[in-house]
Amino acid sequence: MWEGGQAAESPAPTATAPRLVDRAGFEALVASHHAEIYRFLLRTTGRPSDADDLSQETFLRAYRAYRSLTPDANVRAWLFTIATNLSRNHFRAQKRRRAAHAAASETVSQHGAPEPDGVMIGREVEAVVSAVVSRLPLKQRLAFLQRKVHGLDYETIAGALDCSPESVRAHVFQALRKIRQALRGHELIEKEREP
Amino acid sequence: MTRKASQCVEIEAEIQAVAAGEAEPEAARRVDEHVRECVGCQAELERYQRIEREVATMRNPLAAEPLAALARERLEARLADLRTRLVAYEVITTAVGRILLAASEQGLVLVEYLDRRHDVPRILRDHELEPAEDGGQLDPFGRELQEYFDGRRTRLEWPLDFKLVRSPFQRKVLEETAAIPYGAVMSYAGVARELGRPEAVRAAAQALRWNPLAIVIPCHRVVGSTGALTGYAGSGRTDRKRRLLDLEGVPTARLTSDFRIRPEAMYVLTPGSREYCLPTCSSLEPAPAAHHTAPVLTLGARLFASRERAEAAGLLPCTTCRPDSHPLNP
Repeated sequence: MWEGGQAAESPAPTATAPRLVDRAGFEALVASHHAEIYRFLLRTTGRPSDADDLSQETFLRAYRAYRSLTPDANVRAWLFTIATNLSRNHFRAQKRRRAAHAAASETVSQHGAPEPDGVMIGREVEAVVSAVVSRLPLKQRLAFLQRKVHGLDYETIAGALDCSPESVRAHVFQALRKIRQALRGHELIEKEREP
Repeated sequence: MTRKASQCVEIEAEIQAVAAGEAEPEAARRVDEHVRECVGCQAELERYQRIEREVATMRNPLAAEPLAALARERLEARLADLRTRLVAYEVITTAVGRILLAASEQGLVLVEYLDRRHDVPRILRDHELEPAEDGGQLDPFGRELQEYFDGRRTRLEWPLDFKLVRSPFQRKVLEETAAIPYGAVMSYAGVARELGRPEAVRAAAQALRWNPLAIVIPCHRVVGSTGALTGYAGSGRTDRKRRLLDLEGVPTARLTSDFRIRPEAMYVLTPGSREYCLPTCSSLEPAPAAHHTAPVLTLGARLFASRERAEAAGLLPCTTCRPDSHPLNP
């Protein structure tokens, strides 16, 4: 361009296109953590479409902020924090939407927990556990999944939930207790799991 | 639900810890002692152990794999889109006002005058660009553009991103315009001729009405066939166009309410030639002069502000009119 500017009178331009994100580094991050964050969000929301949206949003946010991430940062904990914040926003928005549709009467179903004093075998136990987890209050569910399923430490979870590690312990305790209560009164029979 | 003894309530957290295999030895011993005597808590411990086994299956990474793979595909598509929209930006203050510079990883994508609008993130969003966090990355662009304004730089061949260009035709016009050297001018008619579409003068002018890369794509070097400095920067800011041409040494004169360049005071390069002439050279094709138009501009010539500018563009003096022996008076 500006053909003819070749005369030695003017120095050659030196400005180059900026490097905004370390692409290889970010691709490695996606490869390492995407599947786990997706599973976390699927358990958190219970809906593949929501997990899809929220996991995309998590990594798009991470991409925008990737430059400011320090080299010694715990990337996995950082991603869980983003995913946790997005989940909480998601449910807050959902709650507002539901409140707006207040005309719709109480329709929260109570399915999931079988009658007490039954016998539960194999997959039934799994179904009950999943059902109880999916109905936990959000903070308990987030704390439970991060601690029990993803094995994050209490400090990290406390950071993501913006509360104390003691509160996280309390949330996990309550969550386990609710699952245990749902199983109470049932004789639990182990069965060979289908492959 | 049966009411539990306070001891059983107190020990529940430790029972959970034992079931999870996370209990301290002290706590494990307390639980062991308690459940030996408490049938209820023994059953609770078993339930918690059962829950732990169930939770272990939730950790299976293969569980949601097909869904995760689909989500990953969609993510990759959105990341690819985001990569094209993410820009670094900088605002510099120059002799012709405040200028916004924005660059993607492909190159400079936007150079826009900030007149009344100052909300930069808003301007970027209007162009479907997204500001990246962090700044300072465009300092070299800003510095080199300031050198241009200081008259110390005649070259701005930067990597460009034509993302905001609206049509293939506009892109062609911009590329043609980009080839006009520093200190030279050409008419819209000339640009249209160079593109092989001499009838498309209006379309060429229209394409230059909004130039996403002001200054860098030098649309200020394109003038009307009368030599008039027609609208610039979208709002008839011919004062700005004139300042840029002044800076580059192009002679201009005041018309009644506006400015025009002075073709009679500039060297001429006719299309296809590599020699520059005096405007009076006998080798120049006499053209039927329409009312008020400068014939050479209508025919697509480039006009140079000085011999220095013409020779910087690699041109030689015409051997007929010898502009080297009889230079125009500055």
